[in-house]
Amino acid sequence: MRIRTFGNFFKEAFVSLFRNRWMSLASIGAVAASLIVLGSFLLLSVNFDHILVDVESQVEITAYLEDTADDLDIARLKGELSGIYGVKEVNFVSKEDAMEEFKEQVGKELLEGLENPLPNSFRIKADNPQDVPEIAQKIEKVEKIDQVKYGKGIVEKLFNMIHWARIIGLVIMVVFAAISIFIIANTIRLTVFARRREINIMKYVGATDWFVRWPFLIEGMILGLIGSAISIGILGAGYNYIYDVVKLNVPMISLLPLSNFYDYGLAFLAVGMLIGALGSSFSIKRFLRV
Amino acid sequence: MIEMYGVSKAYNKGPVALKDINLKIEKGEFVFIVGPSGAGKSTMIKLLFREELPTKGQIFFCGKNITRMKPREIPYIRRRIGMVFQDFRLIPQKTVYENIAFALQVVEAPQREINRKVPQVLEMVGLPHKAKAMPGELSGGEQQRVALARAIVNNPDALVADEPTGNLDPDTSWEIMKLLSDINKRGTTIIVATHARELVDSMKKRVIQLDKGYIVRDEARGAYRK
Ligand SMILES: Nc1ncnc2c1ncn2[C@@H]1O[C@H](COP(=O)(O)OP(=O)(O)OP(=O)(O)O)[C@@H](O)[C@H]1O
Ligand SMILES: [Mg+2]
Repeated sequence: MRIRTFGNFFKEAFVSLFRNRWMSLASIGAVAASLIVLGSFLLLSVNFDHILVDVESQVEITAYLEDTADDLDIARLKGELSGIYGVKEVNFVSKEDAMEEFKEQVGKELLEGLENPLPNSFRIKADNPQDVPEIAQKIEKVEKIDQVKYGKGIVEKLFNMIHWARIIGLVIMVVFAAISIFIIANTIRLTVFARRREINIMKYVGATDWFVRWPFLIEGMILGLIGSAISIGILGAGYNYIYDVVKLNVPMISLLPLSNFYDYGLAFLAVGMLIGALGSSFSIKRFLRV
Repeated sequence: MIEMYGVSKAYNKGPVALKDINLKIEKGEFVFIVGPSGAGKSTMIKLLFREELPTKGQIFFCGKNITRMKPREIPYIRRRIGMVFQDFRLIPQKTVYENIAFALQVVEAPQREINRKVPQVLEMVGLPHKAKAMPGELSGGEQQRVALARAIVNNPDALVADEPTGNLDPDTSWEIMKLLSDINKRGTTIIVATHARELVDSMKKRVIQLDKGYIVRDEARGAYRK
C-alpha cells in the first residue's frame, strides 16, 4: 500500500467524520463513557489490591494458651503450629509482653498495680490471608489452645466484596463496550451508505476489499482514539483530584500515584482503536459483497 | 480468451437463468448477446465478471478458471475486464477527470501514470474539453463516453457492456457503438448485451442469441434476428 494512498484514506476518513458530526460525537461520547467506567473500576481494583496488601499483612490469628501450658508445651506448640499448612510465621507473646502492649494502648497510669489478667498467646500469620479462616479452625483443635481469634467476618467480607466488584465492573464494561461498538457501527454505516455507489464502482474497477475497507476502518479508529483520549484525560484529572483529597483527609490509606497507571493509558488508546475498528468492520461487511 | 463449459445458473429462489451454456470467445472478437427480456443476458455478463458464480460448469478467462478462484483474486481479474452499464454509474460528486482517475487510484497506479493516461482516454472518447465538468452537467451520451473512458483506462483485455445504449437515443447509441468498435480495433475483446436491433444489424459482428436461458443461435456475422 502506498503512503500517498494512505494519506487519501485519512483525508476521506476526516471528511466523513465532519459530514456526520453528530453521530461522530455520539460515538466518541460512547467510547469515552465506556472507557471511563472501565477505567474507574480498574483504578479502584488496582488500588484495592494495593491497600489489601497492607490489610492482608495485618490479618493475623491470635491463639490464646491455657494457663496450664508450661515452657515445654509452648516450645512444642510453636513447632506444631508452624507445621500447619499455609502458616507463614508464628510468634510467641508472653503475658508480660501482652500487658506491656496493652499499657501502651490504654495508658500506664490506669493499669498501675493491677494483676496481669492476660494469657500467653501466639500470633500467627498466613502465607495467603484468604486461608486465615481455615487455619484458625485447625488451630482451635490443637491441645492446650484455649481460644482463637482473628478478624472473623471482616476478612471474608472484604474478599467477597472485591470479588463481586471485579465481576460487576467487568460486566458493566462489556455492556458499555458493546454499546460503543454498536454506536460506532451505526455512525460508519451512515458513511458507508452515503458512499455505497462509490464502493460499488470501486469493486467493479477491481479494488481489493482492503482498499475499500481502510478509509472506514480509519474513520472508526479515529472515533475510538478520540474517545479513549477523552476518557484518559477525565480519568487522570479525576484520579489526581481524589488522590489529593484522600492524602489530605484519610492518612491511613495511601493511594497509588497516577504515574503508576501510565501503561494503562496506552492500553486504553489501543482498546479505543479496537472498539472503533470492530464497529466499522461490522458495517462494511455487507457492502463488500459485490 | 473466454470459455464456458456446461454453465448453468439458477438464482437462489428464482428460475433457472442459464442452461448448459458452451461458448468460446477469442481474443479481439466483438460479440453481441441478444435475446428477449429475461433470456439471461445480464446473468451471462455477471458470470463473466465473477459477480455471480454459476450453479454448474466452468468459466475460463485468459486460461484461468474463474469459478475456482479465491475471493481475494477477484479484484485482479476484474482489473483485466472493463465494465460498462446502462446507467453509466459515475460518481456524481467527482469531475469527469476524477471519475476516470478514480479507476486508476483504486488499483494504486502511480500518479505519473494517472496524469498521462486520463487525458489520453478522454481524447479517445472525444471529451478532452469536459475534463472539469461534473457528470450531472453532461448528456447521457457524454456520460456513457466517460464510463467507456473509465472502463478502458486500465488497458483491460476485455470490455463487457450490459445494454450500454439502453438509455440513449439512436444517434447517440450509434456513436457509442462506433467508439466500442474503435476500442475493439486496438485489440480489446468486446462483449455487448443489447436490445438495439438496428445497431446489431448494421455492425455485422458475431451474435449470440439467448432464449429462456439457452443459446439458440451463434452466428459469426449475424443480425439481431435471423
Ligand atoms: N438477482 C436475481 N435473483 C433472482 N432472479 C434473478 C436475478 N437476476 C435475474 N434473475 C432472473 O433470471 C432470469 C434472467 O435474467 P437476466 O437479467 O439475465 O435477463 P436479461 O436477458 O438481462 O433481461 P433484460 O433484457 O430484461 O435485461 C430472469 O428470469 C430474472 O428474473
Ligand atoms: Mg439485462
